[in-house]
Amino acid sequence: MPPNVATTRKVALITGITGQDGSYLTELLFEKGYEVHGIVRKTSNVNRLRAYTPHAKLHYSDLADSCAIRRIFNQVRPSEFYHLAGQSHVGYSFEIPQSTYQEIAISTLGILEICRDLDYPIRFYHAASSEVFGASQNPPQNEETPFRPTSPYGCAKTFATNLCNTYRQSYQMHICNGILFNHESPRRGSNYVAGKIADYAVKIKLGLESELTLAAWETTRDWGHAQDYVQAMWLMLQHETPDNYVVSSGKAHRLLDWVEIMFGRLDLDWKKYVKVSDSEFRPQEPGQLIGDSSKARTVLGWDPQISFEKMALEIVDSYYQKALKQS
Amino acid sequence: MSSSSSHPVALITGITGQDGSYLAELLLEKGYEVHGIVRRTSNISRLRIDSIRLDPALHGKRFFLHYSDLIDATTLRKIFIKVRPTEFYHLAGQSHVGLSFEIPESTCHEIASATLGILEICRDLDYPIRMYHAASSEIFGAAENFPQTEQTPYRPTSPYGCAKAFAAQLCDVYRASYQMFICNGILYNHESPRRGENFVTRKIVRQAAKIKAGLDHELILGNLESQRDWGHARDYVQAMWMMLQHSKPDNYIVSTGNLHSVQDWVRIAFEHLDLDWTKYVKSSESLMRPQEPTRLLGNPTHIQKTLGWKPQIPFEKMVAEMVESDLKQIQNH
Repeated sequence: MPPNVATTRKVALITGITGQDGSYLTELLFEKGYEVHGIVRKTSNVNRLRAYTPHAKLHYSDLADSCAIRRIFNQVRPSEFYHLAGQSHVGYSFEIPQSTYQEIAISTLGILEICRDLDYPIRFYHAASSEVFGASQNPPQNEETPFRPTSPYGCAKTFATNLCNTYRQSYQMHICNGILFNHESPRRGSNYVAGKIADYAVKIKLGLESELTLAAWETTRDWGHAQDYVQAMWLMLQHETPDNYVVSSGKAHRLLDWVEIMFGRLDLDWKKYVKVSDSEFRPQEPGQLIGDSSKARTVLGWDPQISFEKMALEIVDSYYQKALKQS
Repeated sequence: MSSSSSHPVALITGITGQDGSYLAELLLEKGYEVHGIVRRTSNISRLRIDSIRLDPALHGKRFFLHYSDLIDATTLRKIFIKVRPTEFYHLAGQSHVGLSFEIPESTCHEIASATLGILEICRDLDYPIRMYHAASSEIFGAAENFPQTEQTPYRPTSPYGCAKAFAAQLCDVYRASYQMFICNGILYNHESPRRGENFVTRKIVRQAAKIKAGLDHELILGNLESQRDWGHARDYVQAMWMMLQHSKPDNYIVSTGNLHSVQDWVRIAFEHLDLDWTKYVKSSESLMRPQEPTRLLGNPTHIQKTLGWKPQIPFEKMVAEMVESDLKQIQNH
């Protein structure tokens, strides 16, 4: 293969391809004419419902199995690599800090080492997270805001992001950190708050549940749609110069906003059903996370299309359709 | 061997290292029962703690060594439960920044994974332990602020720095989330005659001594202009101990507040031996780091004001002590 193979072939390799972001990204890359490969874990219980893309070529490997991953890189020779995999639930990371850390930080280091050894220039997207900012005092956060994580998840993502910066600068590798703020969709699990609210609203509507208890009621977050956000990932790797980018809506929303839209869609008076508790508080809540994505918008021309309200309606409608099919 | 009210019990990882050996001496002087964790290797080198280990009044009485690898969580947990230390000093880990570019994975395991495993063990203990974590000035890396304080954002520029930043931030998270007594000591470079020979400071003094003894004729170094804030390890272990005696856990910069260059080391070391350094010292590109951190200078105001810590050994005296020590070692061979 000629040395410039990476720039002429459009071959993408994705970790976390069965997740929310991986599935949207796969669809996007197919549309753009890529050959798409994904790395999946061997489990006895195969659940790939979100991979709506039967044409993706799947390879088995655990993230920690660096020999297997190295073989996959050598076989696929991807021109673009999207590293999205890893335990992604912040609250769980207090319960399972070691596996969270292994999946996020150690696997990223292993893959950076593999990419450093490749004999052609690969382009590498790393899924950083707004949780790296944690206790940063002043919203909005941008690419210059210091990292002050407040959870094991945030610490591991900070570690991986710092390593990506170090490898980019030390070895002139094309590595981008996408510092994505919360992003949702119908494909996100109901163990995340938007899905949980949709799930309960539908179940209450159908008489299967009688109330919804929510913690951290006052929390405000910056929520966008995953479909918009995978567009930003792809744009980063098309730019000549690798860099870090905040990807966010720039707007603060409360849990109340989700509740009002979703319960309203089902003609339910949320005040009758929603209870606020403090039992599920994380040991340490981050400060107000609102992203300033003007760099991604200016430099990459990123232009998100889906509003908060449209996203909330899409999620609750999707849960409702699923529930109707099941009943 | 369990803890009693009569004397405090300390557990140290990295006890065979430069800092661990000085710290063990300090704690024994203060009446502690001292336990150390050592790795099993086929090639035993415990030179730095030989004076303690071979002292029958201490070894097996107030000084104990336990075998464990740092990532062997089961064994570590057993040691904690058996020893029940009141104070825990976590100093172990691959400590060479340049080497971390060559062996990033094992560096990160020893520093980051091990610290996480130990935090989980300490979180589960049924009594309040005090934990010292050896953070490092390398977490600042490309810091924009100069000099650095405890508030300076971390911008590490090496795998070593990334791993130390992770471990320090994780200590912050455990302290804030579980109300644990954990201190991060953000130590700037600290040297002594016990520093490993692959560190630039020791390399300079050792080579100067060899040239003086006629055993060598040149010294090849990387960037002579590199500047750091260098103190003496014996002063710095005092700071570690003081952190754990305070009523509240916190992070502290430990530094001299003065900058010196690699060339200062060369000049003082060679002058101490009446040698003209310009005749022997060469600079080589191959010894430069892929990415040098910006000027690392620590502002030690917080520890000076809060704990009353003050370093006692001046720079010139430290260099001279190291030169003398290496000269003596070479002459004895």
